[in-house]
Amino acid sequence: MEIDSLNKRFGGVVALDDVTLDFPAGVVTAIIGPNGAGKTTLFNVIAGFLKPDSGSVALLPDSDTDGSGRRFDIIGLPPNLIALRGVGVLFQDIRIFKRLSGLENVAVGAKNQPGEKPLNCLFQPARVMAREKEVIEKARQYLDYVGLADKAHLWAEQLSYGQQKLVAIARLLAGDAKVLLLDEPTSGVDPDMVGKLLALIQRLADTDGRAVIIIEHNLNVVKRVGDWVYLMAGGCIEVFGKPEEVLRDSTLREMFPTL
Amino acid sequence: MNYVFHIFTIISLYVILGLSLNLTVGYGGMLSLCHAAFYGMGAYASALLMVNAGWPFLPSFAIAVIVVGMLAYLISIPSVRFHGDFFVLATLGFQIIIFSILYNWVTVTKGPYGIADIPRPRLWGLSIASTPAFFVLSLVVTLGVWGLTRRLVKSPYGRTLEAVRDDELAALALGKDVIHFKRSAFCIAGSLAAAAGVLFASYARSIDPTSFTLDESVFILCVVIIGGAGNMKGPIIGAVILVSLPELLRLVPMPDAVAANMRQGIYGLLLVLLMRFRPQGIAGKYASD
Repeated sequence: MEIDSLNKRFGGVVALDDVTLDFPAGVVTAIIGPNGAGKTTLFNVIAGFLKPDSGSVALLPDSDTDGSGRRFDIIGLPPNLIALRGVGVLFQDIRIFKRLSGLENVAVGAKNQPGEKPLNCLFQPARVMAREKEVIEKARQYLDYVGLADKAHLWAEQLSYGQQKLVAIARLLAGDAKVLLLDEPTSGVDPDMVGKLLALIQRLADTDGRAVIIIEHNLNVVKRVGDWVYLMAGGCIEVFGKPEEVLRDSTLREMFPTL
Repeated sequence: MNYVFHIFTIISLYVILGLSLNLTVGYGGMLSLCHAAFYGMGAYASALLMVNAGWPFLPSFAIAVIVVGMLAYLISIPSVRFHGDFFVLATLGFQIIIFSILYNWVTVTKGPYGIADIPRPRLWGLSIASTPAFFVLSLVVTLGVWGLTRRLVKSPYGRTLEAVRDDELAALALGKDVIHFKRSAFCIAGSLAAAAGVLFASYARSIDPTSFTLDESVFILCVVIIGGAGNMKGPIIGAVILVSLPELLRLVPMPDAVAANMRQGIYGLLLVLLMRFRPQGIAGKYASD
């Protein structure tokens, strides 16, 4: 995924100021910065919840799911079409479907479900059932992949916060997301689970070859899984580099004096 | 004996109304207050076809269900864009509009006088005139509606509809066309309510707008919520309780002068107690919010 000179203003406030970023596949890219740096605005623009004033967000052939091998501009598309293009977002507050089971949560994430059309359910039950079997099978595999196979039938509400995050990630995998945008994946999660989550994030990039973007406050997390780091402040990209370099940077030291 | 079949028939009508509204309220998370409007439109559409055009029962039934489904679709276009309280108000608005059309479009609906002399159905040469026979017909339709809604809510469609109810934004971010799910649920619910309306019209044999007021919409909502929203058993239990409870209260001896008022009072009190101790409804897994 490639982001080119994005600009976004809210009234007089510049939230994104000529932001250019690159998120290659197979790499964990971290975006850090203090509150108000424009991280969340960037998240919302990529996911399609906000329209930027100018600039482009494009999927490159390696991350585009339609296999046409062309650049595909996703700016201006509604969020659901962006998701269908293979961009998956993990919200900071998860937004789990709390009255569905973990397995159902993951199954909802699957694409191309003929059974989502009421007429198909009534008149083409065989076709619906055939695809549904695949969807459930896949959903089980993804739950297993994130280590929650034994919790498949619990209500999502009954899972711990960290487990809900894992379900939400499995839900994105079921939809074949090639670009994963994770907003503070470790916030509010107990230390035990943080290790699990970070291992999973690493695996998503290294083994699966997905483009993983994490938006983080926690510098330790960035140190552990970030391959590349962008430091944002005041809507601009201030520093870009390997985690070690960025963490040594004086701008960052000013922002996080306790480091 | 006819009295018992009469109560059973009324229960089966409310089971249809409850099951259909449950699609919108329980599975779709949209608290609709215009269900009686669809019920009424179904009743009027079939009554007009049978009385004015002399159509037989089955074609009238089919056309009423289809036409009301289409109207429900039109109403859903502006409505489902609203959320929460605003959706409730929008459906309240449509309930009032449709009621006043039924009440005031005198040349077609005969206004407050309503439509009389609606024939009982004749199916394949068989007259369904007696109360027990009508109950059988009504039961068959109820089973059909039950089967259809069950098929829908147990399908991927129902699952995604519930996902949209739980978190619309998250469903959108998973690539779901949220509006499509809400709109279709609303539309299907409307056309199924029309089926109950058709049955009601040919059962009561005369209809007028007062059967399809806001009160009626609220009553159907009570059927769903007291039985348990988002659950296939809920509306059935709700319909049985809400229809039979006032009848059972007749058996409680009370001084004649205050009997009617006291029954109303006890009925209300029981509803409040139910919600206090079973907020998720009798069969429900969770409280509707």
